[in-house]
Amino acid sequence: MIIGSNLAKIYGKGSVEVRALDGVDISIRKGEFVGITGASGSGKSTLLHLLGLLDRPTSGSLIIDGVEVASLNERQRTLFRLNRLGYVFQDYALVPELTAEENIYLPSKVRGMTVKECTRACRDILGLVGLKDRVSFLPGEMSGGEQQRVAIARALINNPAILLADEPCANLDTRNSTVILELIRKLNKELDQTVVMVSHEEWHQKYFDRVVVMQDGKIVSGGE
Amino acid sequence: MLEEEQVAFFLASRLITRGNKGTLLLTIMIIAMVFVNLIFLPSIIAGIVVLFNQQNIDYSYGNLVIEPREDQLLITRVGELQQKINRVPGVVASTPRYSGAATIVSKGKSTTPLLIAINPDDEKQVLKIHTGIASGDYLNDGDTGQILIGTTLAGNKDQTVDRTPTLGGVDVGKTVEVTFRNGVTRQYRIKGIIASGQFSVDSSAFITRKELDSVLGTTDTANQILVRTQTTGKEEAMRITLMQYGIQEKIWTWQDKSADFLKSIVGSFDIINVISTIVSLVIAVVVIFIVIFINTVYRRKQIGILQAIGIDRSIIIKSYIFQALFIFASGTLAGCALLFVLLQYLTASPLVFPGGPVAPVLEPMLLFRAIASLFIVSLIAGFLPSWLTTREDLLSAIRG
Repeated sequence: MIIGSNLAKIYGKGSVEVRALDGVDISIRKGEFVGITGASGSGKSTLLHLLGLLDRPTSGSLIIDGVEVASLNERQRTLFRLNRLGYVFQDYALVPELTAEENIYLPSKVRGMTVKECTRACRDILGLVGLKDRVSFLPGEMSGGEQQRVAIARALINNPAILLADEPCANLDTRNSTVILELIRKLNKELDQTVVMVSHEEWHQKYFDRVVVMQDGKIVSGGE
Repeated sequence: MLEEEQVAFFLASRLITRGNKGTLLLTIMIIAMVFVNLIFLPSIIAGIVVLFNQQNIDYSYGNLVIEPREDQLLITRVGELQQKINRVPGVVASTPRYSGAATIVSKGKSTTPLLIAINPDDEKQVLKIHTGIASGDYLNDGDTGQILIGTTLAGNKDQTVDRTPTLGGVDVGKTVEVTFRNGVTRQYRIKGIIASGQFSVDSSAFITRKELDSVLGTTDTANQILVRTQTTGKEEAMRITLMQYGIQEKIWTWQDKSADFLKSIVGSFDIINVISTIVSLVIAVVVIFIVIFINTVYRRKQIGILQAIGIDRSIIIKSYIFQALFIFASGTLAGCALLFVLLQYLTASPLVFPGGPVAPVLEPMLLFRAIASLFIVSLIAGFLPSWLTTREDLLSAIRG
């Protein structure tokens, strides 16, 4: 599903060179729920950005779903993100002027669904994340936990091969964090969804199938 | 509509309807003002040009001007020629004139204006000078010993306010002394003062042809015959018709006669117009650009996230272009409404110019040009900021 070999990401040049990732090898199987942990600056977010095609590696090879993604151009990368990846951000990142349903509607419509299909899919996915009664609520009218669930629904609407989550519980209290983690876990099991999640909370680890620990841009355990 | 455009339109419509209404209304009002500015001045200028044209027809030339043949100084057998002209279909009337310089003296003040000899009754059918009598009366066909003086020529008692040589404020009933080019000098009583608003008329003097014939000893001659036609705007065709009816004299249209004057006026106005148009369009570009730019900068993170979830940058750019076009369309509509009110008001209460009242003239081409230029400006102002923002590094944009 995901095979990263000798991945490196270097910022700056010469004496100011920073090796955010330094020869990372990682492989993740389909249906796995992998957590990436590590101290701040260990490279866990950088790795997730590479896996989410938000950034390009300085060197190394990255194969996702059988495609060598490093060789894709910008438009192909956007299409790849649309069709095969779902991304959940730390701060929900919903469009404030769009209702819960409309936020989810956008990526499905771009993918070419009809309005009727989009509406049905949006309602189904909102039901799945437990927000059927929040369909026409604007983000500002929902709690942080509800907004994050809308963001997860948005990430899942196109039935992506991989769900990537960048500290999705960072802005939530423990109760809401538990709701989100259980939801992701449930989706992982029920939909056989591959999930890669960055987290620095130790108590989150009980939800993961495998924990990848990073330090100074390298994987120190769990990389397989 | 294509898939991408549908999504872009959807996104734009939601951002407009649920975004900041105050900013949106203000922007639309500014565009409406720019639109009015793009139309208003040129329509006033068009109104002035229409006024000048009409004044030239009504007070100076009629529709056509007939002048002596190539090798002749005067038109002879004028009566016969006038009858021939008046019989041509499409001709309303004609009036022969004999004009030349003469020296007029009043209380020691002397000037040499154009003195025009006319048949008053014929003139009334061709020109409207008789409607411009400010005081006294118009001439009658049989009048002798009487003269009409233009208000500019009559001048003011306080000559410091006169910008051209005048008679120092003569009035109806006073006597002036006229010396003709053959050396004959005669006394004339001022019968009326003309204030037509047309400089060439108001700085001239008029006597009857009968009076001039008695001075010069001429009969049935003129150096111009002015012709009024039924339709204005078809002078060129009427010129050809007159030629076909055997008129061998030179025939000019009023446009030929006033071409240089009009060209210089229209040329000057065009410069003002171009400057005003450029300024208006620059304001429109800057306003729409700033609004869209601030909007995109404010939504930089959101734009990055939309790209991150697989929305292509072309969709995002199109959504901002749609927003700019909405501002353009609403601004133009609001501008049209404002303009309609303004034009109604100015048509009811025209601006008073030295030549007469000027009502704005709205030409379809002018309207089209204003709409087209605002449309292009909106496209550019919508495209550029969103294109710049979506070109940014994705991670930097997401981090805000």
